[in-house]
Amino acid sequence: MIGTIFDIKEMAVHDGPGIRTTVFFKGCPLRCKWCHNPEGLSVKPQVMWKKARCLNCGSCRKACEHEECRPFGRCIHACPENCLEITGREVSSRELAAELRQSAEILGDEFGGFTFSGGEPLAQPEFLLELMAELQGFHLCIETSGYAQADVFRSVIGKLDFVIMDVKLADTELHRAYTGVDNGQILENLRVLQQSGPPHVIRTPLIPGITDTGENLNAIEELVGESVWEKIPFNAAAGAKYEMLGMEWFLKK
Amino acid sequence: MNSRLYQFILNKQHHAYRHRVDWDLAGEYSAAGLSPVERMADRFERLCKEEKAVILEGEQIVFLRTVENLPAIFTDAEWEHFRATYYIHELGFMSNLSPNYYDTIAVGLLAKRETADEDGKRAIDNIIALSDKYRNEAKRQGRDDLVEILTQVPRYKARNFREALQFFRIIHYALWLEGNYHNTIGRFDKYMYPYLKADMEQGLYTRETALELLEDFFLSFNKDSDIYVGVQQGDNGQSMMLGGVDEDGNDVFNLLSELCMQASCNNKMIDPKINLRVSKNTPPERYTLATHLTRAGLGFPQYSNDDVVIPALEKLGYEHKDAVNYVTAACWEFIIPNVGADVDNIAAMSYPKAVDTALHNDLVRCGTYEEFFACVCDEIKKESDKACSGLDNLWFVPSPFMNVLMDCDIYTGGKYNNFGVHGTGIATAADSLAAIKKYVFEEGSVGKEELIRAVDENFENTPELLHKLRFEAPKLGNNDDFVDSIATELLDTFAACLAGKVNCRGGIFRAGTGSAMYYLWHANEIGASPDGRRAKEPFGTNYSVSLFAKVKGPVSVIASMTKQHFENAINGGPLTLEFHQSIFADEDGVEKVGRLVKTFIDRGGHQLQLNTVNLERMLDAQKHPEDHRQLVVRIWGWSAYFVELDKEYQDHVIARQAYTV
Repeated sequence: MIGTIFDIKEMAVHDGPGIRTTVFFKGCPLRCKWCHNPEGLSVKPQVMWKKARCLNCGSCRKACEHEECRPFGRCIHACPENCLEITGREVSSRELAAELRQSAEILGDEFGGFTFSGGEPLAQPEFLLELMAELQGFHLCIETSGYAQADVFRSVIGKLDFVIMDVKLADTELHRAYTGVDNGQILENLRVLQQSGPPHVIRTPLIPGITDTGENLNAIEELVGESVWEKIPFNAAAGAKYEMLGMEWFLKK
Repeated sequence: MNSRLYQFILNKQHHAYRHRVDWDLAGEYSAAGLSPVERMADRFERLCKEEKAVILEGEQIVFLRTVENLPAIFTDAEWEHFRATYYIHELGFMSNLSPNYYDTIAVGLLAKRETADEDGKRAIDNIIALSDKYRNEAKRQGRDDLVEILTQVPRYKARNFREALQFFRIIHYALWLEGNYHNTIGRFDKYMYPYLKADMEQGLYTRETALELLEDFFLSFNKDSDIYVGVQQGDNGQSMMLGGVDEDGNDVFNLLSELCMQASCNNKMIDPKINLRVSKNTPPERYTLATHLTRAGLGFPQYSNDDVVIPALEKLGYEHKDAVNYVTAACWEFIIPNVGADVDNIAAMSYPKAVDTALHNDLVRCGTYEEFFACVCDEIKKESDKACSGLDNLWFVPSPFMNVLMDCDIYTGGKYNNFGVHGTGIATAADSLAAIKKYVFEEGSVGKEELIRAVDENFENTPELLHKLRFEAPKLGNNDDFVDSIATELLDTFAACLAGKVNCRGGIFRAGTGSAMYYLWHANEIGASPDGRRAKEPFGTNYSVSLFAKVKGPVSVIASMTKQHFENAINGGPLTLEFHQSIFADEDGVEKVGRLVKTFIDRGGHQLQLNTVNLERMLDAQKHPEDHRQLVVRIWGWSAYFVELDKEYQDHVIARQAYTV
């Protein structure tokens, strides 16, 4: 089946063991105010406009006959500075797997495996499961918010070698306020992961004044229990991408 | 580390001991009718006399340049005459050689004197006289340690590690003072380790104290290096080769190799420039160790692959015992120590120029891509012929002391007298041909005249075509056979064009993958190119992908750039990969980068150079150079302090691809 991704990254060194290739799924049910991959939020392909490089030459405003340009109202094949880039590519699981296997072939014994990130890979569960089946035999890892129905979560993690799962906020109200969703399902999935899942690590992004409070970290520490827990420093450079997508960044201030 | 001495050198306080001389030697020598070798010998003698012995506080390895300039020994008219009579390479003095430090240090200069010619004897006497000046100064300062060392070396053989290091320093210093340049260091860990090993067995050093001494020794390469300017500050050829196999196939890498990398890492200075020989048998831990040095951001080590280089050199006619001993010249050219007199950077051939000529002269009449590619090959042949022509009657100003140190008569050449020719802009050419193949011949979506016109107009009136060629066309570096195979054909063609040519010294011509500074010079010879490169935009350095090519990542780049047949083109010239500093944030990242290097080597890549870059810091350094005096970047075959570079070189470094995490 067809899924939507927005990037494939070679030589991902922070996404699990070994030299990995990470696939970024497009679309996420959460709306974390600090999200550093805003192009992963909507499942639809989007235009990214690198405004700083734009010469206002008008090339993209001229009428074109490209089918793929229609939804955007601009020609995406005309910019001499490449200011307009489409983020989001629809691809079949088979085609994607063939593409991904290339890096495994190049790296041979040094290849670590594949990591599914996003966006939220669990938001495209059937596509993800198909892709995983295509890549059977490789070390497979997911980076997830853990926000998925219990049966989806179970069936996916049961076939994975490693799970990187975020626990961002322990408090339900704060979680809803800052990510847009309830954390009940996430915490339930966390328990499933801890009780019957593969090796895993819990990650907490340290967002100043939001997730890095003593209260939150203490509460998460309790939830983490025996699991490995990594605290990830805040990436302030992410703000630039919001502007390219014509979005407002909550943390701008 | 001796941090006081380190700061002293870093702050250039030792420059206070320097002075210039304004001797009109050229006029004097010319009037007296002195021969070139007599002039070299005489200038060296005068400079040795003029040099003052300066011993800085706490300095363990002494000898400091106090005379800042080398006065000319030939008049302009005489140079004109030489240039009319001979082929004069670069500055005309001996360069890019790897002299026999090992034997010299093992026997002492007095022993070398016995077999030297009169000019060589004179040079040796002057070096001994200068080192006696240092011994007296040491006596005056109550530095008994140095008095003892300088009583022994350079007259007699070194008896221990420290004497060997001091001896090396004196020889290397003398080579520069004599007027040779790009004075390389050779297989330092191979020839120096026996001294360290013996001392350690006697309990004279621990790992830590040996490292400390080595750091002081490494510092010595940075004391005078600002005087040794090449094309830019930093281009001085002080290259050290570590690791690799010996004559019997044993691994040379030893404790000293390890300490050298550590010392380089700790000193964080641009000299000496570290190269590391590796192979399929290199253990993974060694790559991790070396990657710690990469992380330090100096652009070291540069790797070369024994599995590829040694057989390729043998194929070119180098004897096995010499090929296994290969080192790098100033940048990355493979040369043979002691007996090699190759001129490894004598000329350069531009692939994009060949494509550009064929584009304008032949494209319109070509019915197929194959027909067009044959025209490009013809142009490569013409360009290669041009690069190899006019190189008759090569002559270097004879250097008596260099002659003493080489195991051959270097005045007339060596055991090997091959000429190296760089190949510039292979990615620009391969990408241009891929675009022509795909759009003009396969799809027919771009007309021949349309393309030529657009290139001639620098794409001013065709933004859509520019976009297509520049951002949508296949690019080298994506593990795409469509374009990778074109690069392979280009390299093969270039190598074939040089094969069979004999140079004026009876040697051959070696095809290379380096660009040196031609990535800027050759780029300005042509206008825009069919890969969507605008006029005046530079090519990638050496064996790298195009500056603006969108690539999938370093893994695909490695795949693309290891497919070619380097056994036919082994003059040297690395693939360069730039990594953002953040990839080395933890030990895990360091180990993974090391494994990527291993992949490159295992796949048969010939030479690799990794950079750690921090874009933000470079941009800030352009604005506030005073805050970033120690920021080091790699240029084409050497590392430099960013703020000391001309802006065009700074901008090129900024424009290179960086892989982030």
